[in-house]
Amino acid sequence: MGERMLTPDVLVIGGGATGAGLLRDLARRGLRCLLVDRSDFGTGTSGRYHGLLHSGGRYVSKDPSAARECIVENQVLRRIAAGCIEDTGGIFVATPDDPDDYVDAFPGACAAAGIDCDEIPVTETLRREPALSPAIRRAFRVPDAALEPWQLIEANLADARAHGADAWPYQRVVAIQRDGRRISGVTVRDERSGASTRVVPRMIASAAGAWAGQVAALAGVELMMSPGKGTMIVYNQRMTDTVVNRCHPPGDGDIMVPVHTVAILGTTEELVEDPDDDETSSDEVQALINEGEALFPALRRMRVLRAYTGVRPLYRDPAVQGPEASDDGRAISRSHIILDHEARDGVEGLISIVGGKLTTYRLMAEQAANAVCAKLGMSEPCTTAGEPLPGMGDSRAHWLGHRLAEHEDRGGGDADLICECEMVTRAMLERFLDRRGPCSIDDIRRGTRLGMGPCQGGFCTFRAAAIMAERAPDGHTDRAAPGGSASDPEGALSTFLNERSKGTRAVAWGRQLQELWMVTGIYVGVMGLEGSSSEHGGEATEDHGAVS
Amino acid sequence: MPSADAVVVGAGLAGLSATLALAEAGARVHLLAKGHASTHWASGGLDVAALPRAVTVREAVARLADDARHPYAILSDALPPALEWIRGMLQHEGLPYVGTIDGPVVPVPTSIGATRPAAILPAAQAAALRPWEPGERLVVCGPGGFKDYWPHAIARGLRRAGAWWGSAGPERVDPLVVELPGVRDRLNLDAIELARLFEEPGWRCDAFAAIRRALIIGGLDGPGRMALPAVLGLDDHAAVLAEATSELPLEPFEVPLTPPSVPGLRLYRALRAAIVRAGGRVQIGQAVVRIGVRDGRIVEVAMEAAARQFVVRTDMLIMATGGIAGGGLVGHPDGTLREPLLDLPVEAPPAMSWLAREPLAAGGHPLEAAGIRSDAELRPVDASGRPAGPAGVRICGSLLAGQRYLRERCGDGVAVASGWLAAGAHRPSAPRRDAPQSLAGEVAG
Repeated sequence: MGERMLTPDVLVIGGGATGAGLLRDLARRGLRCLLVDRSDFGTGTSGRYHGLLHSGGRYVSKDPSAARECIVENQVLRRIAAGCIEDTGGIFVATPDDPDDYVDAFPGACAAAGIDCDEIPVTETLRREPALSPAIRRAFRVPDAALEPWQLIEANLADARAHGADAWPYQRVVAIQRDGRRISGVTVRDERSGASTRVVPRMIASAAGAWAGQVAALAGVELMMSPGKGTMIVYNQRMTDTVVNRCHPPGDGDIMVPVHTVAILGTTEELVEDPDDDETSSDEVQALINEGEALFPALRRMRVLRAYTGVRPLYRDPAVQGPEASDDGRAISRSHIILDHEARDGVEGLISIVGGKLTTYRLMAEQAANAVCAKLGMSEPCTTAGEPLPGMGDSRAHWLGHRLAEHEDRGGGDADLICECEMVTRAMLERFLDRRGPCSIDDIRRGTRLGMGPCQGGFCTFRAAAIMAERAPDGHTDRAAPGGSASDPEGALSTFLNERSKGTRAVAWGRQLQELWMVTGIYVGVMGLEGSSSEHGGEATEDHGAVS
Repeated sequence: MPSADAVVVGAGLAGLSATLALAEAGARVHLLAKGHASTHWASGGLDVAALPRAVTVREAVARLADDARHPYAILSDALPPALEWIRGMLQHEGLPYVGTIDGPVVPVPTSIGATRPAAILPAAQAAALRPWEPGERLVVCGPGGFKDYWPHAIARGLRRAGAWWGSAGPERVDPLVVELPGVRDRLNLDAIELARLFEEPGWRCDAFAAIRRALIIGGLDGPGRMALPAVLGLDDHAAVLAEATSELPLEPFEVPLTPPSVPGLRLYRALRAAIVRAGGRVQIGQAVVRIGVRDGRIVEVAMEAAARQFVVRTDMLIMATGGIAGGGLVGHPDGTLREPLLDLPVEAPPAMSWLAREPLAAGGHPLEAAGIRSDAELRPVDASGRPAGPAGVRICGSLLAGQRYLRERCGDGVAVASGWLAAGAHRPSAPRRDAPQSLAGEVAG
């Protein structure tokens, strides 16, 4: 297969929020840019966090500058990305176990960082959030909110495309070539077809987050990331309509974020070697619940849908010694740093953006874009804070009943609902498929939230697989995406269900175990998902296309 | 206080079989269940056993029975007469089944375009069991606008090499989406609603005419069969099926859908009707909250509904409470699996190895084999084989340890055989113990 060659001004590596924001920023400054991701967009850290738009309250005592960045960007995102935000508000509550000095200093520290913070009476707090522990002593209201990452990333990419940029999912950077000190090209491999593309950019901006060390290594640059693994668990209901934080120095199980139809309890912290280490153990889950009970005493009786992990893109400057160099991930700054590999390592044509958090993705992108522009001798100003993202110019914030109201306006009923939990209609699914082309069920999940509600895909994924198959031309076999193929709905479904079940291993008890058994019973027992394998027939089926 | 010769807990196939067998034998029997059971999400067929390289059901049963820890090791003798008995009852209720344990296990199409092994199916599904003759076509036909049956995807799956396990499948598989009267405009549409529509004679006459027209327009004639979603009526199913068979040019068979399962509902309703006819009582929505034991024997069962407690005096308790899916076994966060009614000893793998990495991979989860071990008369025993729990208890169905009903496809056979056997052991013709004394004072209202 002949290798195609592209010569953009900038190659952005990594399709998380930072990479997408950077692509948008650079494109708006007039640069020709290409973004590649080894997987779908938002499958790394951006798609695996707790869903919080920080007010900054979490950082006021330990990292005031990070707190100030958060509140500024919080306000920016409410202007430019309202449709991705549910304005839940947030509260910090003090339990009897939380240190008085921390609690007493909290409102003042918020004020110093520029965060609106009002103390509200405990009785009013309990009236608004009755699932909270009646033992709480104090409560402070802050402008936290819930932020939907995939929609945010898609909107950034859409704006970038409108300004001439391109973004490719499932394209892995496999090699970075150097001509002496200077980077001379990049080889990108299509994870579906195996075809490779040579990209010769003027600059590479690595927004690979926790994987930035792996990208840098391809260019012969040593960059030690300290991926900080965090485990979160998803409950089958919103036991709170407000983001609830515990008012204490950051620890496990101290935040609950209402996200669409579910609620997410976070987060543990453990430094790991490998950013792809996404194992969750039931011990971690139990530890989270134990801590979370201080906020919500009934947690243990509620159904946990799944557990998942994300890796924070933590970076420790090798020059820094002292407590910052400890093995405690929480001691490492949540701030971001732009690494100029020309100055740092003597390699021209590469910068990396590391550290940071989703709330400040736009600021990170702006600063990285400034660095790229400086390298390219440009001085175009950043315009990403002033211009709303596409489709969000006059939109109000997302609210829980949003999809239901839209559906009712169209007449309501369930005949057209493919995913009843998240109210994904057939038309929404078809629009996504029109936009995306061949993709996997997991891609559909991120794009539409199909399968993310209380049934976790038990009743809707086969419908999605069938709709994909109906759209594929007859007799067509394709290599759609890793884990998906329109010509093989059964294979796509198996891959998706196997992948989703990973998240239930650590939470398999009570009603959730029962649900897992029922869903397995439906798919294996009634639908014969393994019945046509070689097990019964003796003839192996090797035509599962991209599924392997 | 009401009393009964036996109380059966659980309304799946095991509980229904046990209750029917007891009622038929003249016992006063109460079936109590907190809700509907596996019938409502299963295929409606009778899965007795299917194993790789086992040609017939009987062969698969024999192989499973060779394993002393499998329920069939104690049930294989009871299985053939039990199956014959329940099929007779179902036939009498207008729900005949086709196929035998000596017939071959064959691949039948599913609603995701795969196949599953089957040998004994209700008449409405039975056309899928017959071998495919050369030149025969299969038309996968469903109504437009129905989200649980997708003819194009199903046909695509069934055309895949290997879908028919290397045996001869249909020569052609074609999808056909038919617009049935008024269906597209409905705001709500599920399998039950479609089944209700088919029960209206005028509507189904139009529907069958629409299908005939679509077959002609599509050029889909010639010898063959057609796979329809399993929605051919609920209470009036026999009439709908007869008309479908006579009105459609291709022989129709039903393909079971995701829950709620219409064929499963028919099975439940037929057995329930038979029980009521035989004088048994079926109470759904009654959660058993306490089991009274005195001097090591069962004396009463307390249940709760609408926040009131009722107590039934009995000395016989048949536990057909199901496995993990049914709630007869409950997993706990500490890694233990417990039986919630009597805390009977549960046989289960260690918590660390409950689940396989890939749930759909052949073999399934180690936890699937968990359950309560029993002796040959279905009395619960502990790990060393000694009697466990109070006297007067029998264990039935998927609560029994040692089976992997999804992989071995033995769940319905184990249910029917164990229900029948447990009932036999409790027939009133057997020597009766003295009735226990009234214990009304023990239960606060």
